[in-house]
Amino acid sequence: MRTIIHHQDATHLLTRIDARVKLFCTLALLVMVLSYRGLAFPLLVAFLGTGLCLALGVRVRLLMARFAQPLFIAAMVLLLKLFTSGHDPLFSCTVAGLEITGYGDGLREGMQIAARIVGAVSVVALVGFSTSFTETMAALAWLRVPRGLIEVALFAWRYLFVLYEDAMVVYHAQRNRLGYAGYRRGLSSFGTLTGALVIKAFDSSQTITTAMVQRGYDGTMPLMRHKPFRLTEVAAALLVVAGLGVLWRI
Amino acid sequence: MAWLACAAPAHAMHIAEGILPLPWAVGWFAVAVPFVALGVRRLNALGREDLSIKPLIGLMAAVVFIISCMPIPVPTAGTCSHPCGTGIAAILVGPLLSILISAVALLIQALFLAHGGLSTLGADIVSMGVVGSFAGWFAFRGMRAMGAGLGLAGFAAGLATDWATYLTTSVELASGIRGDAPFLPLVGRIVLAFVPTQLPLGLLEGAMTAGMVLLLYRKRPDLLVRMKVISQQEGVVHA
Repeated sequence: MRTIIHHQDATHLLTRIDARVKLFCTLALLVMVLSYRGLAFPLLVAFLGTGLCLALGVRVRLLMARFAQPLFIAAMVLLLKLFTSGHDPLFSCTVAGLEITGYGDGLREGMQIAARIVGAVSVVALVGFSTSFTETMAALAWLRVPRGLIEVALFAWRYLFVLYEDAMVVYHAQRNRLGYAGYRRGLSSFGTLTGALVIKAFDSSQTITTAMVQRGYDGTMPLMRHKPFRLTEVAAALLVVAGLGVLWRI
Repeated sequence: MAWLACAAPAHAMHIAEGILPLPWAVGWFAVAVPFVALGVRRLNALGREDLSIKPLIGLMAAVVFIISCMPIPVPTAGTCSHPCGTGIAAILVGPLLSILISAVALLIQALFLAHGGLSTLGADIVSMGVVGSFAGWFAFRGMRAMGAGLGLAGFAAGLATDWATYLTTSVELASGIRGDAPFLPLVGRIVLAFVPTQLPLGLLEGAMTAGMVLLLYRKRPDLLVRMKVISQQEGVVHA
């Protein structure tokens, strides 16, 4: 949960760019990375993305935590493709009486997918680190994502940390009473914990609604208003996307 | 073989960003969008009668997010994995709203945790949201219709949600990474790779969901009556 909370460098140029422009660039880059057949372009995007994250002031440790799971999956896909896919044997060995063959074409395919994962994760990490959740939701609303989904996401985001705090209080209290000593007991404690969270969610939703109705809530949440597009930002974004588009074609 | 040896820990229920090629990523979005739209429609319809429904669904999304971030130790693999959490959402608010809840939880995870991704959001919504929610809901309702108690029905819902999610994830993964390889054997291999963690995790999620439903029945039967999980009569009997 700590990896979610990132205090952005509000003075950095990337943080100040309109979220809609960033979202457009993200989607364009994702399309290019996903449709590229090879290693060079996704790796270039990964290099640029992680570099910009570091320039934003994101700590290396946080960046590594964000990349840990995708890199693990990339490694697994690489191994799966190497050993189970392809026709061109690269090497073979015997492990515990079992003949294992690695294939060259499988390795190439695996590397392509791994590069795609790293490239795409870098792009999304960059937008995640440089844009607040509220701005992202407002930009999605501008892109005509259904309002109901946006409102639910805003409620979820607002109360996520409150519920998490509550969950941690219950969890630590259970631990202090040996609530997680053994699988059976741990499972029962976890069931109680999540059940308590559900009850809390139901009760809080009533309290929140009452408080909101008293402040004029009529069933729709006001969203952040966008400033008009800045020509320089749009032009720069188009230039970056076009430049990367040329590299993608090469 | 390596996949099997490593017995995937952690967050394998979400398909990582970038793993699906563009046509498959778009294709899974196309499958997910109508279900999410139905969820939004249902939310808007309920919202006209009850103003607290949007905050409730938002808070449930936060709960599902937290549940799906909690590591559960898996005895057979000696590692941790995490439950879906959509089973309990489907039981309480129905499958359509549960899809919406999963979509929001997955979106936050994709943006801020790199669990899943934006390009794979469609595929993740289909596996965890659509298939997981409907499997859990049908299992719960089916068991209740056959006269099963709340605990047993909750267990079946948790189990069905988890296993159905992973089965769908396997199909989605195989379709995305197969290249020239034959489809079905690859699905089989991926399913096999999930077995060491997901077989016990499904049982654990079943037990956890049963525990949650029973806790709600003991502590707050009024909530179960309000969400039409049990009848008014059952609630009164308990009170």
